[in-house]
Amino acid sequence: MAIPSDPKQVKQICFDRINIPDVNRLAVARKHGAYEFLPTVLSEFDSARIIDEVKTSGLRGRGGAGFPTGLKWSFVPRNTGKPTYLLCNADEGEPGTFKDRDIMRFDPHLLIEGMIMAGFALGVHDAYIYVRGEFLHEVNVLNAAIAEAYEANLLGENILGSGYGMHLTVHRGAGAYICGEETALIESLEGKPGRPRFKPPFPAVEGFYRSPTVVNNVETLATVPAILKFGGDWHAAIGIPNNTGCKIFSVSGHVNKAGNYEVPMGTSLKTLIEEHCGGLQHGSAPKVVIPGGSSTPWLTAEHYDTPLTYDDMMKAGSMLGSGAIIVMDETADVVAMSRRLAHFYAHESCGQCTPCREGTGWLERVMTRVENGQGTEEDMSVLSEAATHMAGRTICALADGAAAPILSMLQHFPEEVRARLLEKAA
Amino acid sequence: MSADAVVSETDRSEKNRFSDERLAEIEALVKRYPSAQSALMPVLHMAQEDFGYLSMDTQQMVADVLGLRLMQVREVVTFYTMFREQPCGSYLLEVCTNAGCMLNGANELVAHMCKTLQINIGETTPDGMFTVTEVECAGACGGAPVVQVNNVYHEKATPESMDALIAECRAAGGQ
Amino acid sequence: MTSLFINDQEVEVTPGTSILEACRQNGVNVPYFCYHPELSVAANCRMCLVEVEGWNKPAASCCTPVSEGMKVKTATDSLKKDRQMVMEYLLINHPLDCPVCDQGGSCKLQDYAVEHGASRGRYAEHKRAAINYDLGPFVNTCMTRCIHCTRCVRFADEVAGTGDIGILNRADHMTITGIVEDALESELSGNLPDICPVGALLDKPSLDVSRPWELTRHQSTCTQCPNGCDIRIESRGDEVMRIQPVEGSPEPWICDRGRYVYDAFRSEHRILEPKIRRDGELVKADWNDAFARTAELLQGKRVGILFSPDWSVEGQTAIRLMRDALFPDARVAYDLHRRDMRPFAFEEGLSMTTAQIADADQVVVLGCDLRQRLPLLMQRLRKRGRAGKPVSRIGAMNYRTNMEISNDAIIRPRDWAAVIARAMEQVRDLGKTAAGFDEWMAAVSGRHEAGKVLADALISDSCALLVGEEIRGHADAAALIYGLDLLMRACGHAEAGNDGRNLIPEGMNTQVLAATFGDVRASAGELFAAATAGELDALILVGSDPVGDGLFPSAAKAALGNVPLVQVGAISGQIGEYAAVQLPAAAYAEIEGTFVNMEGRIRVADSPIRSLGEERPLWKVMMRMIQVMGGEAPVVNLNELRKATRRIMPALAEAADAGGQDSVLIAPARNKKAKALPADGSERFDLDVVSRYSFYREGMWARASELLSEAGRIHALDDVLVHPETLQSQGLEPGELRVKTFLGEQRYRVGVRDDVSPGVLFVAKRGVAGDISDVSTASIDAALSGGAQ
Ligand SMILES: Cc1cc2nc3c(=O)[nH]c(=O)nc-3n(C[C@H](O)[C@H](O)[C@H](O)COP(=O)(O)O)c2cc1C
Ligand code: SF4
Ligand code: FES
Repeated sequence: MAIPSDPKQVKQICFDRINIPDVNRLAVARKHGAYEFLPTVLSEFDSARIIDEVKTSGLRGRGGAGFPTGLKWSFVPRNTGKPTYLLCNADEGEPGTFKDRDIMRFDPHLLIEGMIMAGFALGVHDAYIYVRGEFLHEVNVLNAAIAEAYEANLLGENILGSGYGMHLTVHRGAGAYICGEETALIESLEGKPGRPRFKPPFPAVEGFYRSPTVVNNVETLATVPAILKFGGDWHAAIGIPNNTGCKIFSVSGHVNKAGNYEVPMGTSLKTLIEEHCGGLQHGSAPKVVIPGGSSTPWLTAEHYDTPLTYDDMMKAGSMLGSGAIIVMDETADVVAMSRRLAHFYAHESCGQCTPCREGTGWLERVMTRVENGQGTEEDMSVLSEAATHMAGRTICALADGAAAPILSMLQHFPEEVRARLLEKAA
Repeated sequence: MSADAVVSETDRSEKNRFSDERLAEIEALVKRYPSAQSALMPVLHMAQEDFGYLSMDTQQMVADVLGLRLMQVREVVTFYTMFREQPCGSYLLEVCTNAGCMLNGANELVAHMCKTLQINIGETTPDGMFTVTEVECAGACGGAPVVQVNNVYHEKATPESMDALIAECRAAGGQ
Repeated sequence: MTSLFINDQEVEVTPGTSILEACRQNGVNVPYFCYHPELSVAANCRMCLVEVEGWNKPAASCCTPVSEGMKVKTATDSLKKDRQMVMEYLLINHPLDCPVCDQGGSCKLQDYAVEHGASRGRYAEHKRAAINYDLGPFVNTCMTRCIHCTRCVRFADEVAGTGDIGILNRADHMTITGIVEDALESELSGNLPDICPVGALLDKPSLDVSRPWELTRHQSTCTQCPNGCDIRIESRGDEVMRIQPVEGSPEPWICDRGRYVYDAFRSEHRILEPKIRRDGELVKADWNDAFARTAELLQGKRVGILFSPDWSVEGQTAIRLMRDALFPDARVAYDLHRRDMRPFAFEEGLSMTTAQIADADQVVVLGCDLRQRLPLLMQRLRKRGRAGKPVSRIGAMNYRTNMEISNDAIIRPRDWAAVIARAMEQVRDLGKTAAGFDEWMAAVSGRHEAGKVLADALISDSCALLVGEEIRGHADAAALIYGLDLLMRACGHAEAGNDGRNLIPEGMNTQVLAATFGDVRASAGELFAAATAGELDALILVGSDPVGDGLFPSAAKAALGNVPLVQVGAISGQIGEYAAVQLPAAAYAEIEGTFVNMEGRIRVADSPIRSLGEERPLWKVMMRMIQVMGGEAPVVNLNELRKATRRIMPALAEAADAGGQDSVLIAPARNKKAKALPADGSERFDLDVVSRYSFYREGMWARASELLSEAGRIHALDDVLVHPETLQSQGLEPGELRVKTFLGEQRYRVGVRDDVSPGVLFVAKRGVAGDISDVSTASIDAALSGGAQ
């Protein structure tokens, strides 16, 4: 199924070709529309027009923060005398997220095409895809696809005779969640430990090797070809205003059919879980839903009907994040979950900020005691204060992510925690 | 450095050295980045692939190849969990126990595997064949629980499928 | 200017200033650990949080630039709680060992715990422990106390340039570590304990011996190099415990030489009482007997006077007064490294401040081991290099700098004239010339390509030329310096306000010395030759060591075989073995006095440490000497002495009167008439000799210091180094080789290193190979095995 010529039929953007066998191979992908519109873009579009279309489309970054992509691109200063770089964030480390992997392993040419278009718009001649180290298979698939693209003069010098040239390199990480944070990713790509930089300066101005740099998520870049092909207005008409287009949701946990689902923004959480994911394993309503990856605050059954948009999730007290929905049914042990996530952040903190370096370890150790029934009443306030004063006081948002599960647990399930404290006495 | 020490070429041969093909590959790789330091992580991956783990000598060798200081290499090796400073078993079984996998029985799975292999998490079997570790979210929660075997993903793993896999590896011998 | 409100108070700062700096400039106290004014910003401690109106979360003030109209609050209740929590995070893993920690009493963590911390910790789990590592002879590590502010890491990267302190691991396993086998090799390592806000890095020599509150502090001036840093000497009773930099000084750091020399103050090498040589032995005497013996040796005799440039300005004046009163015909020498006494077109001293040098468009270092000689200036160049500004260099070897030199050439000293002539040609082709150019060029037959490095740098708006010991000590120095002077004039770098001609002096007070002794000055070599030739009857030596240091050790020994020596000074040194009388004079730390550094900056030392023995200030010894030889002392107190100084050197008076110590700098002398043409270059021997200045070993004070000597042993090079080609061309192997000079033949251990210029014999360890320093050319030969010793 190629992208249909009548754009109104499009239901999926990034996953449109995903079920086509061998679409990772250039010939197959081309048969289904890949790179079809690229010559037009290279010959008829200019930078301003592309950025305008993307602005019009309302596309917001799919990596977690939801920052408007067109706006981000427009911040890149021109004629600085330095090169501009485009980095694709394929570090996909946020617990619960597994969408970028599917784009890369099944339809790598979609991402490559998106990067060529973005690179052309931004005047980039060297672009990199930073893939998390564990995704060795995806790295191999991407490298094979890139080799084919070079062969077909879709990459390299003078792409398709347009005069524009771009080189694309896959860079493999080595096991550090923090490298998904864009400035840590830049440090890592420079061959250093992935420790986030403070901002300002922002990467758009001083990023990779202190040059202007755009970092975008895989899904964000994979959306670009459709936007340019069908127009920004077309994209803006999908979903609801300020939350346009489709979004891939990675659903995991206690659902019957876990997996990635690309649906228009605004679809409700309940619809997604009940209709697409075959409902919960136990019970009828979830005990907890983490809507945007483990770093986002928890929602409970009360918010089951919330539409999946950036704004609605914010209103409900959480965030859409990367669209990684972790569902817990009534059998879930929230203390164990909180402890497990505390362990994750304590393991992944880069270590530079005092509150995060010391606080994440502290939270994990206290949670371990609490989970084992060796907690004290004071632990409740220690957890609450130690988490509260990490969030928003550090260089990057990892500390906020670390605080979220603890604070959510204390907010929604204080009695369950307290009951755990008493176990020791029993 | 003392001038007398300059001439010695001894015992270089015993230490790990990249093959000529690797060196050519590295040379090409370095050209893809604005600075050779960017090639550090890819080159460490190569070294680990070639030599099994990253000993101090190997790290020094990588530093020399890229014109970096040893400290720059050490910082990177110790920061990233996939770089190993110690050897591990021929089969590295990495079980994700993060949220999605935990909700689908990962803790029980890893306990089962440890019992089968009679080791604790993080240990290697005495025959040097298997190492079991717990890892953070593997980015494949849709197929939870996930076990990576030498970096190949096994999704929806069960105690039975793991037993079968272990038996298969044993039959294949440690290669 | 940007104006903003800090706690409702409107203030103005330069755009781009951080909030924290804006607060500091306006006397608002914001606590911090990781920020350091001399280092890059890390923003990792999160102690410096402030609130900005309209922002939804607190901001780290150290990394947030100010903006127009910004409203900053630094002391809200919510910040109080944040700071309390940062303290609690830091303390959960910090050991509770303040009572046994040297930092106790001057520890930021301890102070802030009192000021911002909660009274009780709530942490019930295990504390982390960390492994210590070796940071060389001066720095002790106790890493369990580390709070990960990364100041030391940034110091090693940015200031020391060694980059050998790093951050291993991540999260709360993160540790600060040095490469263990390779101790920090920096001349500035002693600053590490100072910048560590806690007790993780401590001063090793003074470890466990004193607490901050037991110490008395004395302001003084360091005379260990021409940089003349302000120092604070800390003593407990009579014992000097350590030397520290002074906050707010022109230089934020001090070097290890100036810092660790302190153990020499109380060493056995001190001259603490008058001594007379009897039956070959120096024995204690009282002042009267010692002066009587001095008079016997000197009265009515033809003498030569040699002294150290490092005495205070008052001391130098007293030497002049003594000379004029007792030996009006005597010639004096104070530089052990200058062969050519003709006036230099630009004399010793800097025309720029070190800060201006760091800012110039171009910096060219000619023949100078800057890292050994002036580590603080080197540090500024490193900083400049990090900012992407070029530093070019020409010299006889690849002197280690721990920075990337943008344009480098290695040459032989005999090629200097050809280098300069080549540069002249290049700038002349660009239409830049000066009267005298052609004549100078015509006097040189060869052209050396390294001249391009020089000429390329000269074509810029501002260029700092740093001329070092290879040229200053050259036999034809006056001609080379005249050539450089012409070049600088041709390129517009010689006008007032844009004068880039800097000649790095040997020691302190160089501008004052030129004014005080210019008319009677000789080279040390000439004085020794005169003594050897019987033209002198005695030598007076005031505090220097021509046997241990300088270019004339064998000449000195020959002279002292011939005439008696009266030694006045604080340290005995190798020359002490030749003294007939020793008269103790107080050391630089033990007097009130004025000093002038290489930039022409006046430094005043006014709170001396107490002398231990019978030593007196130098000026008193000089006045007494006049009296015992029947003269009348021209001054009787320090005030009169200072008046005499001002008479001799009005510039000093003007500068001092101008108020603020740093506002007027004394300019080095310029000799417009010094027109020297390069001599014809035919040399007697095939190798050039260059001798190394050793940071840890040069000067009698450093050698008297056990601490510096120990560091010198750790960082030692081989005796003599040559380029492998130099040996190859003669068919020789490294090892024992015979070195021939006009002084005769000797054997040395010769090593090879390929960053020494071919054709150069590099004397790396002068103590061992001192005598070759007396010559500027040599040749080598295989040593005869066995037999002939
Ligand atoms: C701790 C942390 C981890 C992150 N991990 C990822 C990630 O794995 N993938 C990703 O695309 N963005 C991640 N982000 C968000 C990036 O910093 C950045 O916002 C994003 O790559 C921008 O791309 P977008 O505008 O296309 O979303 C992370 C952010 C934080 C603070
Ligand atoms: S918040 Fe944590 S992960 Fe982010 S920069 Fe600070 S220490 Fe590193
Ligand atoms: S001083 Fe600002 S974070 Fe440390």
